[in-house]
Amino acid sequence: MAGLELLSDQGYRLDGRKATELRKVQARMGVFAQADGSAYIEQGNTKALAVVYGPHEVRMSRSKTLHDRAVINCQYSMATFSTAERKRRPHGDRKSTEMSLHLKQTFEAAVLTNLYPRSQIDIYVKILQSDGGNYSACVNAATLAVIDAGIPMRDYVCACTAGFVDETPLADLCHAEESGGGTSLALALLPRGGHIALLQMDARLHQDHLETLMEAAMTACKGVSKVLDQVVRQHLQEVSALTGE
Amino acid sequence: MIKTEKVLHLKSSRGRKVRVVREHYLRELVPCYSSLCQAECANEGKVLSADVTHYVVPDAGVTRDFMEILEFREIQGLVFTQTACQAVQHSRGRRQYNRLRSLLKDPRHDCVLFANEFQEYSYCPREKGEPQDKWQTRCVYQAAVWYHDHLAGLKPVVMITEDQGAVAEYSSLNCGVYVLSTLEYLRTFWPELQAAHELYGSIAQALRERGNEGTEREFAEHLPAEVLEAGIKSGRYTQGTLNVNKHRAQHEAFVRFDGSSNKNSELDSDVLVWGGKNRNRAVHGDMVAVELLPKGEWRGRTTALTEGQGEEKGEESQGQPMPTGRVVGILQRNWRDYVVTFPPREETQSQGRNSLRILATPWDQRIPKIRISTHQADTLQDHRVIVRLDSWDSTSLYPNGHSVRVLGRAGELETEVQTILIENCIHIAPFSEAQLREMPASSPERPWTVDPAEVVTRRDLRDTHLVFSIDPRGCEDVDDTLSVRSLPPGPQGPRLELGVHIADVTHFVKEGTLTDLEARARATTYYLADRRYDMLPAVLSADVCSLLGGVDRYAMSVMWDLDAQTLQVNRVWYGRTLIRSSYQLYYEQAQALLNGEEAELPPEERDHKLSHLIEALETLTQVARHLRAQRDQGGALELEGVEVRAQLDEDKNITALVPRQPLEVHETVAECMIYANHWVARKIQERFPQQALLRHHPPPRQEFFTQLQDSARALGFTIDTRSNKALADSLDQAVDPQDPLVNRLLRVMATQAMSNALYFSTGACPVDQYYHYGLALDRYTHFTSPIRRYADVIVHRLLTAAIAVEEGARPAKASASNKELEEMAQHINNKNRAAQHAQKVSMELFQCLYFRDKDPETAECCDAVIYAIRTNGVLVFIPQYGLKGALYLRNREGQVVRVSQDGRCVWEAGSLQRSLDHVSTTTASGTSTFRLFQHVTVRVSVQTSRCHADTLHLELVSNRAHRAPEPPDRTPRAAPPQGTRGRSQLVQEVVRQAEEALLQAEEKKGRVSELSKEEREFRQSKTPNLYSLLEEVREQALLDLTAFSTGLHTLSS
Repeated sequence: MAGLELLSDQGYRLDGRKATELRKVQARMGVFAQADGSAYIEQGNTKALAVVYGPHEVRMSRSKTLHDRAVINCQYSMATFSTAERKRRPHGDRKSTEMSLHLKQTFEAAVLTNLYPRSQIDIYVKILQSDGGNYSACVNAATLAVIDAGIPMRDYVCACTAGFVDETPLADLCHAEESGGGTSLALALLPRGGHIALLQMDARLHQDHLETLMEAAMTACKGVSKVLDQVVRQHLQEVSALTGE
Repeated sequence: MIKTEKVLHLKSSRGRKVRVVREHYLRELVPCYSSLCQAECANEGKVLSADVTHYVVPDAGVTRDFMEILEFREIQGLVFTQTACQAVQHSRGRRQYNRLRSLLKDPRHDCVLFANEFQEYSYCPREKGEPQDKWQTRCVYQAAVWYHDHLAGLKPVVMITEDQGAVAEYSSLNCGVYVLSTLEYLRTFWPELQAAHELYGSIAQALRERGNEGTEREFAEHLPAEVLEAGIKSGRYTQGTLNVNKHRAQHEAFVRFDGSSNKNSELDSDVLVWGGKNRNRAVHGDMVAVELLPKGEWRGRTTALTEGQGEEKGEESQGQPMPTGRVVGILQRNWRDYVVTFPPREETQSQGRNSLRILATPWDQRIPKIRISTHQADTLQDHRVIVRLDSWDSTSLYPNGHSVRVLGRAGELETEVQTILIENCIHIAPFSEAQLREMPASSPERPWTVDPAEVVTRRDLRDTHLVFSIDPRGCEDVDDTLSVRSLPPGPQGPRLELGVHIADVTHFVKEGTLTDLEARARATTYYLADRRYDMLPAVLSADVCSLLGGVDRYAMSVMWDLDAQTLQVNRVWYGRTLIRSSYQLYYEQAQALLNGEEAELPPEERDHKLSHLIEALETLTQVARHLRAQRDQGGALELEGVEVRAQLDEDKNITALVPRQPLEVHETVAECMIYANHWVARKIQERFPQQALLRHHPPPRQEFFTQLQDSARALGFTIDTRSNKALADSLDQAVDPQDPLVNRLLRVMATQAMSNALYFSTGACPVDQYYHYGLALDRYTHFTSPIRRYADVIVHRLLTAAIAVEEGARPAKASASNKELEEMAQHINNKNRAAQHAQKVSMELFQCLYFRDKDPETAECCDAVIYAIRTNGVLVFIPQYGLKGALYLRNREGQVVRVSQDGRCVWEAGSLQRSLDHVSTTTASGTSTFRLFQHVTVRVSVQTSRCHADTLHLELVSNRAHRAPEPPDRTPRAAPPQGTRGRSQLVQEVVRQAEEALLQAEEKKGRVSELSKEEREFRQSKTPNLYSLLEEVREQALLDLTAFSTGLHTLSS
């Protein structure tokens, strides 16, 4: 169906959202007890699970050790049942490797790695259900997991995608919109300072539109950060209630 | 917002079934777009009016099948649901959906879209096992109920559906929400809307019939869209537009590629599609995918002339084999409304088993017969009816259609004119009241006056400049005026100020108003032989905007500060002005003034300004000559040169020739307009490099010149077509001193080879394609006739915006984007083409009327010149009437023409030989030869046709030049007056208004550019472009036409 109308004349998107509206975000922290930190997030129908181990001593080859800061090791994978057609290879393909690298870059920019020289932090992210915006769901989940693990960060890292249809920027694309052939831009933001941790865009876009598109993505990221902040605060309240303080 | 999920089962690209889960967000606040809304919805834009008796909500089925009824403007208060719109998109494709969208956008039509599926309370999820159509009906019903409740029951809501079960189920559930079937609805609420009832009947009938089709397969199935797309990408199939050959509609069709999609580089020509099976249900104009046949099956195009339906089976003469293919799928149907004629009763009955179904013959020969189911066959005999095509299944030999509207009895003038309009997709309703309400008031008693507030903002030229206009006699819509004066000398010497002042239409027609929308839809003023349809209401075009003499008018001006000697431009000023035209001249008058003769000016105009006027005219002429010379150096095609030279040779004949000879003043005015257009083009392109509307004229394809070169070679001339300059020069040299017609014919052929000038948006084309070939200008646009062309209106707005930006002001509204502008340019191009074609066809209609009224035996013997050779005949040109036509040397019985000693012609059995520059017939009694550019005598008669337009038929009388009984002068210059007399009589008989309409029809230059008329009988035309040169010619100022244009010419003189 080449003719899917991504944005109707009345300004509705396929799923009934308006151009700037995000999908419903729900998240929980501390879902596993075994790991140092863990979190689960749902962004619409995209569901991701993130687990953090560390900081601990470097377990990979010794040569990787950095003596002024910690090494961040990320692994991204998708569950075989996460897509409409069953995936053959859950991790290790090109796309996953690339995604792992992106995550690593993002968190190297956000985590205060120089506090933990000669150590390693492992971040494992798994997509349980994929419906567009995998990268942003992973980043958001991993942020919560890192916070849960108690590793200091400069700020939350919030990520969101934005697309461009009919001269209008759309926030937080779903799968149908992503695969519709338009531009998709993924942006990870440290919202308080407005620093960009990572910006990625594959498709072509006219230079004039880049500004508006980034603006839209940043607004969306700030929206996400509010939700994450709430989740963290609520989690803290629950935890502190449990510990009886 | 509430999040729900929707589960869909879709097919994946590999054809497997995939379960897709989509999110679906619901909200409480979905605008209802009704002016009655009690809940303060955010209703922006179009809103349903409150003064209707009810709101009507069609369900998915009705929207899908009966959209044409919903398009009636009388039906108001329409609420389309999102569900219904999506159903249309899925089942009927993008074309129908776009139609629905444009309906929703059209502010003249009282209908809105309600996004029911995103409304929390009107959304109902599809239940398990529920059929789709049931679910859709339920959704629509829910929406209707919500609508009723939302408006607090202020308006009854009627839902219409074709599903009788739904009517029974829902009708009693809620009070205030009525569920009716479409028929019942029409009967109850619109009993007087007869057209809708008839349309409903015919659509319903067509739908019923479609159910019980035979299963016998007549055509191969079309391939599915995915396969086609993949095939086109891989180069296996080629995509293009199907063009049916008008003269062999049964067999021959060509596919022309769209430039970009042609991956197959060896295919630089069109692909031939031979026969009905290979054409596989494609109709003229459809976008199709073709597969090439193996080389062994390739064939050539037929080169023999065919006469109407006369099929010459057996010894088909073919040209060079060319790529041949078959249609494998249709990417986009391009069906429009067609005019058909119902067969007389005898034929109907012989069509056998089902007398309800009738095969009607379309007016356009390229369209196959259409099967229509109707009860009205008897009453509609010999009537022309508009039909729409519905479908064409592989089991059927003919497409199915339904009738929409009856035009009238075939052969009546009104019916025929309407037919021409419909066939060219020209829909013109009178201006609505709402549109006329927007107009400024002006009446003879209280004429419109300028607004003092507006005067302050404009440059006032009323006292400083002598402004005058030159137009054809009797012209009402004066949209251009001129001024010229000397300025105090500058550092370089004396200076001149040349000014072109154009009617300021955009001041009155603001963007987005109803008048603007209507003008945009029409895009141009349509001129037919006997009437015209204005683009703007008469109060604007003939009064308030028109720059009439002696009254204050708003204008948009371009003024050049020129060096008086070299005519170098020192400075250009663009802006809005206030002018008062001192003289409203017509061409002959202006020329007389120039020549120093006594002009017939009304006495009150003979004041002191007259000497100024004459001076200004002289300066203007000087300037124009200079400008023209500049363009000539650049290579402008100057095809009128011969005419001028002929004038000098034989001075006496000229007064006898054309009362409105190509006066120099025509050229002067045209040159000033070209200059203004050029400078405005430069300005807007500079200011809006991505989104300016310009006009370009691409260089012609070299292969189109072949005929011209061949013909010229037969006479020993060579034509160099490498550049426009070379072409112009070599045409100047190709003169046969014995026969001035030769040069003229060559020029006509050259003109035919040209492509069309087109509007485009600067963002859509690389800069090197901006060039205007005919005018030899690097930038060109249309600025000078905003009353008659919508393109000029756009250009005016761009220019205004450019001036505003320059003055530092931010333009109030962003101008149209490149994409919108390009779409607009396409639309205007299409409309222009339609307008020209309609004009041409209506001319033919009147020509046929003329010859029909004449005595068949005596009068129509006239002189003709052979200009092309075909295998079974020749193409001739008749200078007296400006006609072109085919002359058969072999008739259907296989007999050929033999010329006896005294020049008479007889039909005898024999054979025909064709060579490059002559064709000869051999019979038992001798051989006769016909050479290129030989003069012969022919007789013209009318061939009537019941279903199609009448055509002219030529018959060879003698192989010698015809000696006209009156002035024994066979030069073409003597011919027009004869025609003039005869034709003007005709016109007076048939239509009164023709004169006026035609005067308007001609460009300011007053030249009748009637080139397209020559192709009328040009039966072997190879490209569709050949028809539509009219506009082209106007702006190229191909003055060569006067002789060919006797038709139009005489009608108007």
